[in-house]
Amino acid sequence: MSLSLFSIAFIGVIGLLGIGFYGLMICRNLIKIVIALQILVKAALLGLIAAGNLNGQINLSQSMALTVIVADTIVAVMGIALGVQIRRRIGTLDVHELSSLKG
Amino acid sequence: MLSILTILIIGIPWIGAMCIWLLGDRHPRVLHALATAFALLAAIATLSVIPFSTSQPVVLIAMGGILGDFTLIPDGLAIFIAAIATVVGSAAVIFAIDYMGQAKQLARFYALILFFIGAMAGLALSGSLLFTFFFWEITALCSYALISFHNDDPRAVAGGIKALIMTQLGGVGLLGGALLVYSYFGNYQISSLLTHYQNLPPVVLGLMGFGFLVAAAAKSAQVPFHSWLPDAMEAPTPVTALIHAATMVNAGVYLLARFYPAFKSISGWSIAVMTIGVLSALLAGLMALAANDIKRVLAYSTISQLGYMFYAVGTGAIFASQFHLFSHAIFKALLFLSAGAVITALGTRDLGQMGGLGKRMPFLQVMFVIGALGLMGLPIANGFFSKELILESGLETGPLVFYLIMLFSAGVTALYTVRLLYLIFWGESRGRTQPTHDGLPAMRVSLIVLAFGTLTTWLLAGGFSQLLASTLPFHHLEAGPTSTMVKQICLAPTTWIALGVIALGCATWLVRTRFTTLAEAFKPMLEAGFGFDALNRQIVQGVKRTAAFVQIAQTGQLNWNVAGIVTGLVVILLVVLRGA
Amino acid sequence: MLFGSLIIVILIFAIEAILAKQLITSALWLAGVSALCSVLFFLCGAQLVAVVELSVGAGLVTVLFVFAISVAGDDTLDATPVPPRSLIAILVAFFILLMGWFIMPISSSPVSAISNPPLAEVLWQERGLDLIVQVVLIFSGVLGLLGLLAEIKPPLDASMAGEVGAHRQRDLHALESQISNSQEAGQ
Repeated sequence: MSLSLFSIAFIGVIGLLGIGFYGLMICRNLIKIVIALQILVKAALLGLIAAGNLNGQINLSQSMALTVIVADTIVAVMGIALGVQIRRRIGTLDVHELSSLKG
Repeated sequence: MLSILTILIIGIPWIGAMCIWLLGDRHPRVLHALATAFALLAAIATLSVIPFSTSQPVVLIAMGGILGDFTLIPDGLAIFIAAIATVVGSAAVIFAIDYMGQAKQLARFYALILFFIGAMAGLALSGSLLFTFFFWEITALCSYALISFHNDDPRAVAGGIKALIMTQLGGVGLLGGALLVYSYFGNYQISSLLTHYQNLPPVVLGLMGFGFLVAAAAKSAQVPFHSWLPDAMEAPTPVTALIHAATMVNAGVYLLARFYPAFKSISGWSIAVMTIGVLSALLAGLMALAANDIKRVLAYSTISQLGYMFYAVGTGAIFASQFHLFSHAIFKALLFLSAGAVITALGTRDLGQMGGLGKRMPFLQVMFVIGALGLMGLPIANGFFSKELILESGLETGPLVFYLIMLFSAGVTALYTVRLLYLIFWGESRGRTQPTHDGLPAMRVSLIVLAFGTLTTWLLAGGFSQLLASTLPFHHLEAGPTSTMVKQICLAPTTWIALGVIALGCATWLVRTRFTTLAEAFKPMLEAGFGFDALNRQIVQGVKRTAAFVQIAQTGQLNWNVAGIVTGLVVILLVVLRGA
Repeated sequence: MLFGSLIIVILIFAIEAILAKQLITSALWLAGVSALCSVLFFLCGAQLVAVVELSVGAGLVTVLFVFAISVAGDDTLDATPVPPRSLIAILVAFFILLMGWFIMPISSSPVSAISNPPLAEVLWQERGLDLIVQVVLIFSGVLGLLGLLAEIKPPLDASMAGEVGAHRQRDLHALESQISNSQEAGQ
């Protein structure tokens, strides 16, 4: 079946989104959660660039993708810093133990 | 010029509130003076707009987009409620000079009262349903803050929260109505609803009508939403006189009167309004017979009189209901403020500790008697004329059963009023403390003004009806001079029947010893408030149990939270796909 | 063809990243995903983003993860997830199906030609605000990071302060008694 470039790319986007959310719900280690978040952001970037390709406005989508990359890098940095501090202060990275917002 | 004056009606109290709040608590005398000045200025502004009232918007500020236009329309209905708010507000503020005296946190008190006065005027003057809702919510907030003013007293705080929850839940009905108007007409203007209400599908109009009825009943403390008003008596007395007797509780009656032309065609709406009015008048009157706290008796009396106003709106007598609103605001404020003076003189609110004070407090006795004349509906006082108008129109338009019940309630009103007067001023003295004063100077000033109003405002009936008829194009009211109205009332047979019932009520008190067995049988039911308080408690328990049950979902664990997020995403996608 | 196979390999790498037992392995699979994504971007015509993604995603972020793992330790945790696996599988399956149903029709609709100004113009003029936001974001990220990684100074020891104060009192008393003695002697 001959799918357009866009359709293939969007299968990839949806697949990555599913994998990312699956990872967020399955993983217990905080660092792995950050990795799953990164996968979600890759999916968003892929979607942006593929849409730009479909549209013909590749430069506009490149500018937006740059902003997303900056933001997502900062999120990764903050997530990792939080993970490191939690490991030092509380001693565990298991999200099932980190439930002080319970109730 | 007119638009500036109209904006000032709301703006002056709000600016005053800001100034007083910023000034802080350090100079009580300055605060007293400032508050009085701002309240009086607002009253002057309102009174000067009255001759120029019109049914066209005088202020129109386009707020853009979803907020619609902010309009102020000083028509008869709106400007007279704003006048009551500012004038009775000034009386209450003047009274508060001596009542609060050197109390702590005076700045908060005066700022909230002025904020409330401005919001109440805005509620009445607003021509846009959305902004009416905003002002409605502001009055509810001020009411809560003022009821719980002494926030170290747990009863005051509980009373404030109860008032807030009950009136806010009713306010949902108002917001729903506003949004429905917007979705069908594209703007929030009240005039568009009143002109084009036939274009709405009947179901929507019915929803709106009953939604507004619920909002009005909750705000005006009608059965079954009445239990917050007696508990709100923990507020300082000027607050009670202003908010819970003269202004905020009238907002419900105002709402129903304003939208009456649009809703009267809904089947069952008028009967529902009448039923609520009749039930409230009767049940609250009976509960007032068993109450032992001065302010509680007056609170039940307020609920009962508001029931009369609802009954009048239900029968279509808009002028009678507004006239009674006017009279009631004045004589009830007089009664509450006099009660406040008695309370500060004796230091207690319990009727069991009073009695025989007539000799020591002659001035307050006279004030109370004048207010009682208005409440009972005896000639000379303004309550007589307004109550008779309501009863007449009720006989003409409503079911006979309702008329008879209202007549009986008039008798009950007379009975509990005489009981109140007797327990405070006449009979044997039960109290241990001597009254410290007979009305301090500032108290006397506001009481005299209100008493004068009670005895004379019925003379304004002709001008008032003219004002309403000329500025309310949708209501189709008839105007007539005062003399016609007086003649009509004095000659009508209903008047004499009513006066007879009232005399019967007074006489019942004199022979009360014969009724003790009957009274004792009814007493537990009356004191339990006919089961409504127990119903409230059960509802609160039910909500708490549901909350405890739902708390299981808050695990605090990230994985469950993400599962919740994904579930929400799936639901949104389903809804969107269904719509597409 | 190349595109399709790239997508399939990316999906496989992503699954491996989630299912890996050790954190280091997971981070390396993620680097692979980033690199292949960067190739994809290049193939779509977005060269600039491809280069940035390669250096940031496959380089910077991977180094950060390696640092974090070295500091935080590489404990392997018990693999049973708390929301039951079946619930998770159902949710993800629903999500993928619905998203697919939602988006697929877009790809077959014809697209009209729109103008495509050069990159520099788009970046600096049309989306200039984005760049300002990015700068603010980076600043706040750096400040937040510094705040997060700061050490808390221990408070001045209370007993130590008390001791110092007691010493001073004793000295003052000694001084006072000296002065009073000399006064008495002098009188």
